[in-house]
Amino acid sequence: MLTIAGLAVSYQGLHALAEVSLEVGDGEFVTIVGPNGAGKTTLLKAISGTAPAEAGRVAYRGRDLGALRPSERAALGIAHVPEGRRVFPSLTVMENLELGSYRRAARAGRAQALDEVLGLFPILRERHRQLAGSLSGGEQQMLALGRGLMARPDLLLLDEPSQGLGPRIVEQIFETVDRIRRERRLTILLVEQRVVEALELCDHGYVLETGRVVLAGRREALLADARVQRAYLGA
Amino acid sequence: MASRGRGWLAIVAVVAVGVALTLLVQERYHHRVLTLVFLWAAMGLAWNIISGYAGQISFGHQVFFGIGAYVTVLLVVKAGLTPWIGMGVAVAVAVLAAVLIGMPTFRLAGIYFGLATLAYPLIFRIVMDWLGYQEVAIPMKREQPGWFMQFNEPRSFDLLALGVLAATLVLSRVIETSRLGYRLRAIKENEQAAEAMGVDSFRCKMAAYMLSAAPAAVVGAVYIHAILFIVTPEAVFGLLVISQTLVVCLVGGSGTLWGPLVGAALMVPVSEILDTTVGDRLPGIQGVVYGAALMLIMLGAPEGLYWRVRHAFRARGGGEATRLAIVAPPAEDGAAAVPTETVLLEVRGVSKAFIGLQALSDISFDVREREILGVIGPNGAGKTTLFNVLNGFLVPDRGEVRFLGQAVTGLRPSALCRRGIGRTFQVPRTFQHLTVLENVMVGAFVRVGPVHVAASTARSALAKVGLADRADALPTGLTTLDLRLMELARCLATAPRLVLLDEPLAGLSGDGVAVMISVIRGVRTRGVTVVIIEHTMQALLRLADRLIVLDQGRRLAAGAPGQVTQDPAVIEAYLGKRWLARMAAR
Repeated sequence: MLTIAGLAVSYQGLHALAEVSLEVGDGEFVTIVGPNGAGKTTLLKAISGTAPAEAGRVAYRGRDLGALRPSERAALGIAHVPEGRRVFPSLTVMENLELGSYRRAARAGRAQALDEVLGLFPILRERHRQLAGSLSGGEQQMLALGRGLMARPDLLLLDEPSQGLGPRIVEQIFETVDRIRRERRLTILLVEQRVVEALELCDHGYVLETGRVVLAGRREALLADARVQRAYLGA
Repeated sequence: MASRGRGWLAIVAVVAVGVALTLLVQERYHHRVLTLVFLWAAMGLAWNIISGYAGQISFGHQVFFGIGAYVTVLLVVKAGLTPWIGMGVAVAVAVLAAVLIGMPTFRLAGIYFGLATLAYPLIFRIVMDWLGYQEVAIPMKREQPGWFMQFNEPRSFDLLALGVLAATLVLSRVIETSRLGYRLRAIKENEQAAEAMGVDSFRCKMAAYMLSAAPAAVVGAVYIHAILFIVTPEAVFGLLVISQTLVVCLVGGSGTLWGPLVGAALMVPVSEILDTTVGDRLPGIQGVVYGAALMLIMLGAPEGLYWRVRHAFRARGGGEATRLAIVAPPAEDGAAAVPTETVLLEVRGVSKAFIGLQALSDISFDVREREILGVIGPNGAGKTTLFNVLNGFLVPDRGEVRFLGQAVTGLRPSALCRRGIGRTFQVPRTFQHLTVLENVMVGAFVRVGPVHVAASTARSALAKVGLADRADALPTGLTTLDLRLMELARCLATAPRLVLLDEPLAGLSGDGVAVMISVIRGVRTRGVTVVIIEHTMQALLRLADRLIVLDQGRRLAAGAPGQVTQDPAVIEAYLGKRWLARMAAR
């Protein structure tokens, strides 16, 4: 579904990504882990089009995304839930969700999408008239996720949904992500610092370091890999 | 920033070029253009002090220009006082006006400040009309032309205007390279972070406003004598004055002393040439051409020509390579790593409500010296609100905070920082256009005045967190770990007794967490007390001596980490049963 080949991105002369290649199959759950500055966030931005690629190719359903703007990529069914939540703080919860279904293909199914999202996150129904900025961190993360789902995407890019959240909320978020995947057959690309939880969810995983893929494999293989164990699992 | 010597040399070079042009130019009209270039450059520089450096956009700066003109001319008319002395009086009046205007107006932030400044020139126009000063002409003083600034020789006006420009350049340069300059830039980038680092933003903004009023008044006084000869409210308090000032700064670039100079050197001759060439044949067309030229420049260099050229040079210099290795954290020795019995901070019955939400209810606890106290609880429990009360961003509705035995409830963040309370933020709040070193220097200025001393304090703070090799980088190129380390270094540079760390591990990977833990332990080893909000429980359990748990604004539990994590109420509200199972499995 998504094929990335030789992707390179630089910021002000700093190489954030150097020749990254990876594949995500239809309906697959892929997790990307790695230390700070490895380029994980940049990779998601390059897919959604908010960071310009310097070299390489990003193809979605066989179509080269290179020339497309972020809004055009979103219209193809790619939803990006960015790091740090980025909800629209001075809009209400409901307005945030409605903006999620701005995409033409999603407008028709808005009511149904709304039902589904509010079913996944009942707390958002309770708070639908509240300003998004007044929600707690966990609720904002749910809203960001819900806003992404309102676009009825085929590919969901999740950037560190657990950041800054308490342990119980983190469990809840991961459970919901798992449920979305099982119920909606969504393709998901997840970037995470919580390595164990994130790898346990995935089919395939990649380890990114200083802008390169240093390790890739199926879930069981990665969790059992001695290097992963040593570097990330504290074993 | 260019080295110190080079900056002064450049100013000397500008003055030399100005003198050379004055001597070279022959025609009277060309002298007039030259005088105008110097005066508008100086006026742009005056505006740049408050709006460029401090970021407080003033749309009413012509109020000081007008005060300069009116006060000087009225003193000539009414008292026969020479404008050379009258200008001094005008400067004093303008600075006083800046204080009176600033007092109420600096309570407004951002665009609201700018909009409010629009009102003052309007008020002055009405007052001048009402006083009957619709038209005040400078009386001719043929017997003492020099004493009354009524030169026959146009070169004299060139040199006078150049003198005003040179003085304003020197003033700008002194501000740029001083403690005030760093503080103003910090306020422009992030006023809250600057306050938390001990910058009294109100006083700094006021100082900048007063310093920018003075040259504007001088320019107004000289402009009247060199160009207008008759003062009217429209001519000196009108919109044309501020729009010319803004054009000069926007075209050249603001926040640097070279921007207004470049802008004036380009736009003033363009506008004059248009007036005399096409304007003669098609009246009004000059405004259209001028506007088009302005739009072209804005499209090509939206941040101003100076910055455009500078960035182009920077980019050609090439970037740096990615930093590969994470710097080894400094070694710690266990000697001082034990809490003492002294109570450093007492929190007593603190409550804080927002509209419809009780964020904190009746919170009490002590922090002992050299302790690492962890604050945990679900999102929205009031942890950050608690920090905002402790460092002065918020005033509690009820309750008291005592630091080192003294009541500090309700003090400003900058005052609390000076007393020794430092903090970092959940999302790092950096000064984006300052280098890493300059960011940390802003913290150091709380204790030291001279720039070079602050720089060395900042370097040693950077070394303490292992970030010495990034001193000259800009924050935009930094990883999350480096940003958090930089913020901690900035906080340490204020020489705090107590640091409040708001989720310092958020967004860090496993090895980043290890570095940060080691650095935080190092902070405590040096005798600094730490209060830390964190969700990364494994890390916090390794770090904290004691935990306090908040839930829905209340204190749910407090005690040793082992005991708190077994508390059924804490598991129910925050940790979750699965977390406990995971911990047991390790």
